[in-house]
Amino acid sequence: MFKAVKEKLQAIGCDMYELTEQTVKAWEFYFIRHKLDQNRASSVKTLKVKVYRPLEDGKMLGSASGDINPTASDEELDQALKNLYYQASLVKNPAYTLTDVPIPVLEQKPVDHAAIAESFMNAMQAVHETETERINSYEIFVREIHKRFENSNGVTYEVTYPESMIEVVVNASRGDHEIELYRNFESGVCNGEKLTRDVEDALRFGKDRLIAEPTPKLQKSDVVFSTADAVELYSYFAYRMNAALLFRKLSDWSKGEAVAEYTTGDRISILAKASLDNSSKSYPVDEEGALIRERYIIRDGVAEESWGNRQMSEYLGDKNSSDVNNFVVSGGTADESVLHAGDYLELVEFSDFQVDEVGGDVLGEIRLGYWHHDGKVDVITGGSVSGTMQDAIPSMRCSKETEQYNNMVIPKETRLYNLTITGIR
Amino acid sequence: MKAPFSPYLNGIVPWVHQLVDLLGKTYDYVSVLSTDSVGFTIQMSQRSKSVTNSNMTTERGNVVRVAKNGLYSEYAFNEIDQEDPEAAVRKIRDELDRQIKVLEKTKTPVYETGLLSDEPLELFVEKETEQLPETEDPEKLVSFLQSLSDRGMEIIPGARDCNVRGMSTHISKMFISKNRFLRQSYVYAEGSIASFAPNEEGEMKMAYKGVSGLGGPEILFRLKETLEEFPKLMQDLLSSEKIVPGEYEIITDPGITGLIAHEAFGHGVEMDMFVKERALGAKYIGQRVGSDKVTMHEGALCADSVTAYAFDDEGIIAGDVIEIDHGILKTGICDALAALRLGGQPTGNGKRQNFAHKAYTRMTNTIFDSGTDSVDDMIASVKHGYLLSGTESGMEDPKHWGIQCIVSRGYEIKDGKLTGKVVSPVIMTGYVPDLLGNICMASTDRRVDGNGGCGKGYKEWVKVADGGPYLKTKARLG
Repeated sequence: MFKAVKEKLQAIGCDMYELTEQTVKAWEFYFIRHKLDQNRASSVKTLKVKVYRPLEDGKMLGSASGDINPTASDEELDQALKNLYYQASLVKNPAYTLTDVPIPVLEQKPVDHAAIAESFMNAMQAVHETETERINSYEIFVREIHKRFENSNGVTYEVTYPESMIEVVVNASRGDHEIELYRNFESGVCNGEKLTRDVEDALRFGKDRLIAEPTPKLQKSDVVFSTADAVELYSYFAYRMNAALLFRKLSDWSKGEAVAEYTTGDRISILAKASLDNSSKSYPVDEEGALIRERYIIRDGVAEESWGNRQMSEYLGDKNSSDVNNFVVSGGTADESVLHAGDYLELVEFSDFQVDEVGGDVLGEIRLGYWHHDGKVDVITGGSVSGTMQDAIPSMRCSKETEQYNNMVIPKETRLYNLTITGIR
Repeated sequence: MKAPFSPYLNGIVPWVHQLVDLLGKTYDYVSVLSTDSVGFTIQMSQRSKSVTNSNMTTERGNVVRVAKNGLYSEYAFNEIDQEDPEAAVRKIRDELDRQIKVLEKTKTPVYETGLLSDEPLELFVEKETEQLPETEDPEKLVSFLQSLSDRGMEIIPGARDCNVRGMSTHISKMFISKNRFLRQSYVYAEGSIASFAPNEEGEMKMAYKGVSGLGGPEILFRLKETLEEFPKLMQDLLSSEKIVPGEYEIITDPGITGLIAHEAFGHGVEMDMFVKERALGAKYIGQRVGSDKVTMHEGALCADSVTAYAFDDEGIIAGDVIEIDHGILKTGICDALAALRLGGQPTGNGKRQNFAHKAYTRMTNTIFDSGTDSVDDMIASVKHGYLLSGTESGMEDPKHWGIQCIVSRGYEIKDGKLTGKVVSPVIMTGYVPDLLGNICMASTDRRVDGNGGCGKGYKEWVKVADGGPYLKTKARLG
């Protein structure tokens, strides 16, 4: 379809465009306990067309994008492209360019759906369950993503990569009291041993939740984050350096300046990477045909480089930027004597832990935590934690040891000081 | 005007019938859902503008559902050769057979399910709309939305940007099985304004409001009135303080009432969760879960909203279910397969993110009934509490009836009067039966909102709407 689209674009006078054909071949398996509820397969192809239109003597650039279905008739295709070209004249942004840097031939990683699915099933069957701690249900998704890209500057690439996900619900019970915990693991392919281990960890948390007492009305407490929810904290740092937030002045971080007025906190670094072992987002090129360049976006607590789409990056004066899918956080210096000092709450399960990347608000309902106080550890549940990243970053401490959660490597433990705790006893 | 049914789908009817017949030689049950939905998204702000002909509900494709030996399987695809339906049949059979081999290799047992009912039914529905997204003049819409962004910058105090977004989709869906032939076409639209401004401490605050409904791009023009509320809205946020955590009397505005309906009992009575024993609601049918003031409806027929379809994605006619009647939990909502497994009837709530995704039990319109109180009387009855307004997000916990709602603003009420003090943001948590059991007043009016999307867990995003009147209850705020 590329050829037909290019010919039609040429016919209507459009000589600036990006075409991305994406084919997703997916296998899915849905389980109730360990019985198969439903199996699904799909093959879906989409052609995304973005047309550009220089306006006002090249000072402005119009653009419009749309999806073309493979079943579109010649007449439908013709009309869709004409509509896009017209719509592009209505949407005027300051001019920017399309990438013209050639892409080397990329490694294709065809996906063996059967092997990956089998690996997921075996890993789930290997989970040690008991009468009181067991798997409720799970859903397995194995996808092969194939992308073919071409822009009007002659930049082309083709890439194939795997993307997997498993959603797991586990139960723990004591008498009539049963609780559930939810997990969502994303990866490139299945890492069976890690998956089995992670699900067994969830079962252990479930067992603890059964004996949890209501969270005390602490009002204020230090909080240690030691699970996947901590990704939210570090995503905040990464998004504050996103070109769109910076250009729209929704982030006031500036290159060359410290991201906070540090007191005792660890000055972290964040490295943007094209690939990360078994990340579901491990491919070296972004949606606009730019090679993803490895670079620090924050180094030793100082904002260094932005990342994001070409339009916003160019507006910030950076023609050499790209979008980024993988981040590695480093720079933690705290050991146990700091992270586990004095009284603190270790929060390991939330209803939905959130950090607002624009406002910096930190919010979450507590489903499971451990209150370390006076040499004791109480298992707690209920209530909520709140605070702001602006207040937290200057004193935030991070472990040197790291843990990978799909496309992010973050400190294994993070301690935020003096957060607000709404307790229920 | 009637929203016309897709000519493309009408054109593939013979091919789909052939597909159903051919697959019927191998499988015990066969149905096909075909979709062709077109639309747009326009976004205008001071610093970036975009227009696209796609949004979360635009799609064109097919999903085949088959059953054999008690196992239901699906194959979704969007490339077809109308001249060769046998090729599609071979592809579907081969791909599903390859999956079966993996299941055999891993010795995976099957959750056996009976055969879906396929009672004869024919339906053709084209719902009313004033405009269609595919034919409305984009220049007029772009110009209107940009003018709102420009006006927003003039009137909203301290605004760094004013992002105005409009989208609309003309949905056409067709369901064909051996005995069923259903076609529907309808249009919905939603628009929003989001403005950002820093407070004195440099914290960025976002003011947000939206409009939505069953109908075309004409709905977006309601944003003009909405914008006039923004100067006060932003001023409230900029002057806001952090709340002192504790339990308070609260009055929820219709948006927050809808959020409670959605998170508290909406997810909790999705009956595919009953099949998995993931919802406490299964044990409470016929029991009291709220005060006498609580009556809650759920169904695509309940309101002319963004999800007011005529049949669901499994070919079941849309319904209107009374889930809670004066505080007593009556029933839940159910997709077709869950109904079969539970021995009940489907309620027309089987929804997919799009043709390529699985159907789950999902909400449509989830709405509390109105009451008899005036909002002024409700405020006057509060000793110390907050009027909560502005939905940010929510999360359910059907197994424990916990609820988390993140609310944009709380307006302090002391001794029956609004004090002018605003707190933001507010995290409202609690135990659902307590929250609903403490509802003691409900206003006479009600509103239904349908902006954004709803996920099942953290995926499978679909359009839903929710709402109700102002409600007075108690909750923990932090």
